[in-house]
Amino acid sequence: MTEKGQMSLEQLGGVVRIREEQEKVVKDCESRIQHWKKVSGDYEALKDRLQTLPDQLSYDIMVPFGPLAFMPGKLVHTNEVTVLLGDNWFTKCSAKQAQKLIDHRMTHVKRELDAVSQTMKNFEARVGFAKDLETISASKGDYVDIKEEVENSCTAVTKGRQRIAHKPNSKPKSDVLIDLKEGDGDEGRDGESRKGAMTEEELWARLDELEKLEALQDEQDRLSDNADMNGEDTSSSSSEEDKETEAAPPVTGLSLKPSWSSVPHSKETTHGARIVEEDDEEEEGSCLPTIFFSHTVEPKKVRINTRKNTTLKFSERKEQKEQSKKKKRNGHANGHELHKITTPADIYRLFVDVRNGEPIPRKSILKSRSRENSVCSDTSESSAAEFEERRAIGRGFSHDEATHSDTSDGAAEEDGPAAAAPPTHAAGRFEAFSGTVIEKDPMPLTVPHLTIAPPALPTILERRQEEVTPDVSPPQPAPKRVSKFKAARLQQQ
Amino acid sequence: MAEVIQKKLQAEVEKYAQMQKDVSKSLSARQKLETQLTENNIVKEELDLLDSTNTVYKLIGPVLVKQDLDEAKSTVAKRLEYINGEIQRHETLLKDMEKKSEQHRELLASLQQEFQKAQGLAVGKA
Repeated sequence: MTEKGQMSLEQLGGVVRIREEQEKVVKDCESRIQHWKKVSGDYEALKDRLQTLPDQLSYDIMVPFGPLAFMPGKLVHTNEVTVLLGDNWFTKCSAKQAQKLIDHRMTHVKRELDAVSQTMKNFEARVGFAKDLETISASKGDYVDIKEEVENSCTAVTKGRQRIAHKPNSKPKSDVLIDLKEGDGDEGRDGESRKGAMTEEELWARLDELEKLEALQDEQDRLSDNADMNGEDTSSSSSEEDKETEAAPPVTGLSLKPSWSSVPHSKETTHGARIVEEDDEEEEGSCLPTIFFSHTVEPKKVRINTRKNTTLKFSERKEQKEQSKKKKRNGHANGHELHKITTPADIYRLFVDVRNGEPIPRKSILKSRSRENSVCSDTSESSAAEFEERRAIGRGFSHDEATHSDTSDGAAEEDGPAAAAPPTHAAGRFEAFSGTVIEKDPMPLTVPHLTIAPPALPTILERRQEEVTPDVSPPQPAPKRVSKFKAARLQQQ
Repeated sequence: MAEVIQKKLQAEVEKYAQMQKDVSKSLSARQKLETQLTENNIVKEELDLLDSTNTVYKLIGPVLVKQDLDEAKSTVAKRLEYINGEIQRHETLLKDMEKKSEQHRELLASLQQEFQKAQGLAVGKA
């Protein structure tokens, strides 16, 4: 503490000295300004005199005679003036010419005056700072010197992902085709081994694609920020939610946007699951930009993109786990073949509705009615996926309701009763890991919804609540935030 | 030992003081030249403003000597060049002197350190 005190004293002394020196400079500047102002005044007077001098041919004046005496005399040749040009040079010129010379000199004087006043201003400012510094170091003033030592040892903690700064167009943007090996839970490991098998070039290409995807995602996130917060825009709300979840856990997975032109985005650190997802993505699209109806999902989050076509992302592994579960429970074989998407037709295969254990292909993939039964919904038992799965289920349910409202299909009616079944289904499926049940009432079919707005999906908060409520039957919603549509629906129920 | 160092130190300090004086002299000379430069510039410009009808005089001692306008102009121009050259010369001189004085300063600092060490030793011994 004494050291600090000493230091501050020294500082104080130094600062005082600086201030004094600067004040000296300021005073000097002031004196110089005074001098130049005087000169300028003299020249003005001289000019006036020169103007009046030629009025008369001669003047009667008292001529200075020595240092102490004057004597009467005459001033003649009033127009002839001998001007000192400087450096012992004189010239005889008329009064008017002399005036011109004076004007010329005046410009010079003004220039000097401006320069000096400028320096004075600068130094005055410096004096002010020095005074402030003085008060700070003396700890008298209102300002406090805040010092923070920076530790350079620890790397900057970045929220979110670590990105590689790829040089643009530095890597060959080749189409990376990686065969999706149908696998089960071991796919993660397989993925890793596969990763080793991938060439570097492919890796770089992959990285590029994923970079693009991330850029897209950022854009969407930005858009979603501006979108309606009520959740009218499922994609926005979901993406927002995703953002929230993203921010919290360190993102290690791909942040896939199931947009039409999304590109899988991979992070630098290799991860089995990610590779899996990469592969999944690769599987679906063979060229950039790729259309991904992927059902690959990041380990921690699910992304919903467009309004109705809420494609969810989840890992192939989870999907297949879910499939295997389905197999067990429902007794139908959603085979692995479902997951290998090589043709657009395969997509339709994925978007199926499971009713009573039978996969019924949907009329349109845009209408994802019983989402919870489709491949889209994720029912992996991994805890990491739980959350998003539940979310997916919740979304699926809510989406169902919304689609019920939106669609006037005959199929919608089918979904009505079917929707009742899925909740129980889902409830059963979820028992394995949480026992929480999605609390979403199936929409009454007769409720028409005039809006074509995207279905209102519950927010993460809602879903969390849904998920958290243990073993609560679905029709017991207690969401904090309910979208308009959902609220209307609930009211009507 | 300490006394020897002390003497050395004093000698060096004097040398350094001398060098500083030279530096300041050079500096002031340069400043003077600069004022002359500005003055001659003004004279040149004002001569340009005049025409041949005006007579130009040069003050040489107590005498005003008539000069031709063109002659005066050329003279002033020459003087300007001369002044510029002088300024350059003085600048280089100044730089050299600055360097020398820096070296001297370092020398002084090291000597001072030695001296203090020696003094410390002497105090310790005593």
